[in-house]
Amino acid sequence: MAPALMRLVLALAVVSCCAAGQPGGRVDLWPMPASVTRGARTLYVARDLRLSTAGTGYKDGKAILADAFRRMVAVIQLDHAINGSYHGLPVLAGVNVAVRSPDDELKFGVDESYKLTVPATGNPIYARIEAQTVFGALHALETFSQLCYFDFVLGVTGLHWAPWTIVDKPRFPYRGLLIDTARHYLPVPVIISVIDSMVYSKLNVLHWHIVDEQSFPLEIPSYPKLSNGAYSYSEKYTINDAIHIVQYAEKRGVNVLAEIDVPGHAGSWGVGYPSLWPSATCQQPLDVSNDFTFKVIDGILSDFSKVFKFKFVHLGGDEVDTSCWTTTPRIKSWLVQHGMNESDAYRYFVLKAQKIAISHGYEIINWEETFNNFGDKLDRKTVVHNWLGGGVAEKVVSAGLRCIVSNQDKWYLDHLDATWEGFYMNEPLTNIYNPEQQKLILGGEVCMWGEHIDASDIQQTIWPRAAAAAERLWTPVEKLAKDTTAVTARLAHFRCLLNERGVAAAPLAGYGRTAPSEPGSCVRQ
Amino acid sequence: ANTIYGAIRGLETFSQLCVFNYDTKNVEVRYAPWYIQDEPRFAFRGLMLDTSRHYLPVDVIKQVIDSMSFSKLNVLHWHIIDEQSFPLEIPSYPNLWKGSYSKSERYTVEDARYIVSYAKKRGIHVMAEIDVPGHAESWGNGYPKLWPSLSCTEPLDVSSNFTFEVITGILSDMRKIFPFGLFHLGGDEVYTGCWNLTPHVKQWLDERNMTTKDAYKYFVLKAQEIAIDLNWIPVNWEETFNSFGGSLNPRTVVHNWLGPGVCPKVVAKGLRCIMSNQGVWYLDHLDVPWEQVYTAEPLAGIDDTAQQKLVLGGEVCMWGETADTSDVQQTIWPRAAAAAERMWSQLEAISAQDLETTVLARLHYFRCLLNHRGIAAAPVTNFYARRPPIGPGSCFVQ
Repeated sequence: MAPALMRLVLALAVVSCCAAGQPGGRVDLWPMPASVTRGARTLYVARDLRLSTAGTGYKDGKAILADAFRRMVAVIQLDHAINGSYHGLPVLAGVNVAVRSPDDELKFGVDESYKLTVPATGNPIYARIEAQTVFGALHALETFSQLCYFDFVLGVTGLHWAPWTIVDKPRFPYRGLLIDTARHYLPVPVIISVIDSMVYSKLNVLHWHIVDEQSFPLEIPSYPKLSNGAYSYSEKYTINDAIHIVQYAEKRGVNVLAEIDVPGHAGSWGVGYPSLWPSATCQQPLDVSNDFTFKVIDGILSDFSKVFKFKFVHLGGDEVDTSCWTTTPRIKSWLVQHGMNESDAYRYFVLKAQKIAISHGYEIINWEETFNNFGDKLDRKTVVHNWLGGGVAEKVVSAGLRCIVSNQDKWYLDHLDATWEGFYMNEPLTNIYNPEQQKLILGGEVCMWGEHIDASDIQQTIWPRAAAAAERLWTPVEKLAKDTTAVTARLAHFRCLLNERGVAAAPLAGYGRTAPSEPGSCVRQ
Repeated sequence: ANTIYGAIRGLETFSQLCVFNYDTKNVEVRYAPWYIQDEPRFAFRGLMLDTSRHYLPVDVIKQVIDSMSFSKLNVLHWHIIDEQSFPLEIPSYPNLWKGSYSKSERYTVEDARYIVSYAKKRGIHVMAEIDVPGHAESWGNGYPKLWPSLSCTEPLDVSSNFTFEVITGILSDMRKIFPFGLFHLGGDEVYTGCWNLTPHVKQWLDERNMTTKDAYKYFVLKAQEIAIDLNWIPVNWEETFNSFGGSLNPRTVVHNWLGPGVCPKVVAKGLRCIMSNQGVWYLDHLDVPWEQVYTAEPLAGIDDTAQQKLVLGGEVCMWGETADTSDVQQTIWPRAAAAAERMWSQLEAISAQDLETTVLARLHYFRCLLNHRGIAAAPVTNFYARRPPIGPGSCFVQ
């Protein structure tokens, strides 16, 4: 939408917002929960809001819930000093959290549902969260944080429109964001801040595209020279950095999907081990004829299995230009010996890598070219990662395989001309009507490829467009807007919430990560 | 160190000696023994933030303060209010912040105090600015009487006692928040057309035989007196000096911005000066590459050592028209770091030429250090500021 038109829409949307205390009008939650009812009373949130876990089987041994509660309180106070008087005001004293399952392990498909109620009266008034698992409770705390606002007149935190009853659960179990640390190294604090921001819109998979042609930044204990392929001495991650990232994410309900892209996109591997290259002048793909190649892959996956606990590993397999195999004599004769042409060898490589990953306990995700070229030969549990365009997911599920949707025309964040409206309206189940096949769509992922972004501009390239996709992946389809103009004001509000929380989310108007064109209020830009 | 603030600078330098060893997984200090003796060349090394053109959440201001401490900048010039919005709570005149963009784009008095104390702990002063009489349209949202008329809304109405009552109220409230000895009263870009066009103001001028230019001087000097009564040293933008320099209170610090060659004139008249020549130190001018920022010299054209002492230092200005939370840090850094060295390091230690060989690698290293500390500093070698990296590559070469 042209910037001028966008500003007009935003201006109208702000004007039509309801006055404080009136039900009806906009519910400023993102993503929109499955079901929301509310009243007309305003409560004030105690400065020392209490967490009570009375009557729950969940022990919180890792302090997942306690730490999340602390973070939530910090975030609703937004650095404004809460020093007004609560005298005579109806005060929400605390939150009672009841988690049914004692299991605190984050796994794919974990129950993320919750029920959040905020009563209008009580003595004392306590909000209540009920969830099957602690991860549902974490989502409830995030939703609760979005009900709160700072009252500049009274100097306290307020909560409009009690009583609230919110029953919520995600539409898809896989709601991902890809980051690329090979094209530009992203320091650990930057990855941490990306994880923090994912939590605000309930994204739950960080797809870490660690290595690619340009650099190999991760320490691999089994093959220590691999990280010689890092851009420089300090643009690296130790294995402990990776463990820290995984644990940090897990505590926030975010899974980490590691990717080791083979056989293409692997030019950087040969800096430490040149025998992995077909030749010194022809460096991609990895040498299919060499046993050592697969020993290294095995070593990498073995090291991964000690760090990355998500049940899936991503083996890449995209954009494989096999010409170096046929132009390098040694490999050419290996192909001939084995009766393979180039595409046979590509298939052979991918399937062999799959078997190695399976031997380390993983299920596999591969980019869609593997399906497009030899889908019937892939391991039957392969999840196909669609990226080339629309119309692929339906073919994958017809073939009985699972799918993750990332069609580049709508969900590639590095495509700056992909608008937030396009992100919002991109429907993973397009043309898939059979309910059994619909279940095979695990969800989707927005991809922040790193060629033209680095620590200086990654967050404002990701947000707010990733949030638009986050709602598409979380909210039930009946509650999604059919027309994005119905959503503009609410997304603008969420963008400003991100800004208040220190996340450099860009203005809505214009292309991805555009600077604001002129002075103005955050909610109108 | 003589003071705790010297020790804080020392700790920052120490932190930059430390490197992580990826083989031993330890943090190391290489090339010991070190002997570093250090002190700043200028006492005033500023960064200006504009929270009127875009509201910057408190969290973002804190991040900016943190990043300032890494390059030893020590004055945060907070340009709080301007034409477009009035975000700060003023207890004496509580309607003033009705001029904020929205109910939540505001700072309470406690927020302002918190920012001041957060900065102080990092050895950073906060110099607040109340720009008068121009750049003040937002004041009239809460008190329309401050406008010459409803259709002619700037500058503030010079003919009205109420205007100066409000200024007194604002400054009194701010005196309890901002302890820094200097207070900025603005005074730039004053378009006095509305004073002539509005009958009651025109009449007031005629009665006193004043031109609009006289009235401009009258306004600025009167505001200065209010600040001085509150025990502040007034800072004013250079137009005040250019228009009536001889009449300015002798304590005034003149803030240069329009171009080069101004501080020499200011100090020749015995007044103190801060340099922010917009051709080189305005960070919103995206077409000034780091080399030009680095080579800008606050003492250019000033040879007399007594006069040199009157240049307090300089300031890079992050005007907010196109900078908000989403892009403010990568517009500020790394160019502000180039200015920071110019303001801190001794002249002999600063490279005069051949910057590619003598400075670039070190600035690259510092930019990547900022990234490692979570500061979104932009690539160094792009010509335009805050542009993305041109392609994949190491932080140290981009």
